[in-house]
Amino acid sequence: MKTQILTFTLSIITCLSARAELKWEQTSVELHPTATDKQAVGHFKYQNPGKTPVHFKSVHASCGCTTAQSQKDEVPPGEKGEITATFNIGDRTGTQIKTVTVETDEQTNPKTVLTLKAVIPQQLEISPMFVFWKQGEKPEPKTISVKAGKEFTVKHIKVTSSSPDFQTKVEETGKGEFKIDVQPKETTNLVASTLTIQPEDSQKVFYATARITNAPTAPAAPAAPVAPKGPVAPTTPAGQTH
Amino acid sequence: MKFSLARQALILAALALVPGMGEAVYFRHNISWRSAVPPSELVTVAQARAWGGNVIWVDARPDEEFARDHVSGAVSLNEDQWNELLPQFLAVWSPGKKVVVYCSAESCDLAREVAERLRKEAQIPDVLVLEGGWEAWLKKNR
Repeated sequence: MKTQILTFTLSIITCLSARAELKWEQTSVELHPTATDKQAVGHFKYQNPGKTPVHFKSVHASCGCTTAQSQKDEVPPGEKGEITATFNIGDRTGTQIKTVTVETDEQTNPKTVLTLKAVIPQQLEISPMFVFWKQGEKPEPKTISVKAGKEFTVKHIKVTSSSPDFQTKVEETGKGEFKIDVQPKETTNLVASTLTIQPEDSQKVFYATARITNAPTAPAAPAAPVAPKGPVAPTTPAGQTH
Repeated sequence: MKFSLARQALILAALALVPGMGEAVYFRHNISWRSAVPPSELVTVAQARAWGGNVIWVDARPDEEFARDHVSGAVSLNEDQWNELLPQFLAVWSPGKKVVVYCSAESCDLAREVAERLRKEAQIPDVLVLEGGWEAWLKKNR
């Protein structure tokens, strides 16, 4: 009886060690890029502890903003390697979770999902990023709230309007918080403005939009586009993320 | 005998629960708690088309995919170039218009994320996500 148990146990151990399966050091990575980083790169290391080679069939990222690469197509027994996942931050903010699905020819576990979590710092939180008045509406000021992000100290901000049709006034409410009062001169014309918000001692620029819109339209009458005057399409300067 | 079997089954279930609970706690950050788009925020191709000119179509896919093909009249707005593209979207938006955001397919997250930012950051009302995305639109229109 004892021999039978021993044989059974040994055969199980042999089968387990002989099977081809990648052993991952971690399947989840958390990254903390800086405010100026354009990319966040995660490394997922693996090893093949089995006795037969493992082949990668596919490596797919969950979104176009992430690319993933395996160093090799085949992992011989005992060899190590890694999958590199590169997340292009773009204009994303906050916590971003992206996944990479790895498919191999393993018998037992052919699909592994790798998770890349990137916590992108936000220097300024602007709410709302858009204020508007309906055509003919009383041109009363509307407020945009600005708050410094958790890890940042902002003492002053500078706000400029791309159009003289809108006036802005900044009020510092303390603790890195500000109020921007935006007021149109009048609301008869369909005009728009890009508001540039820049923290003091920072090259980083943030944007908000102010606009006079036409009143709610009948279903078949789309509004004529009115682009903001000045820097209509603020391009992100090199090395900056917003 | 019956009691013994039931007891054994219970013991086995309890034993199975231990590693299950352990895994749930250890890998709690790996588990996706993100819910799908709530039904109230979804719209079908047929519903959106019925709104006619009162809809602004927003393409949340990357620039290359938008350049290849898109819903006629759609505005490109993705998170890669959010700061550059948002003013262009705002230039065509007006109160009372419905906004329908789409990405490649049912499984993609881009439309949900763009819709969320439009509601939260720009405080645009009536922002909906197209059920089935670009794939569904193609099926109904080609």
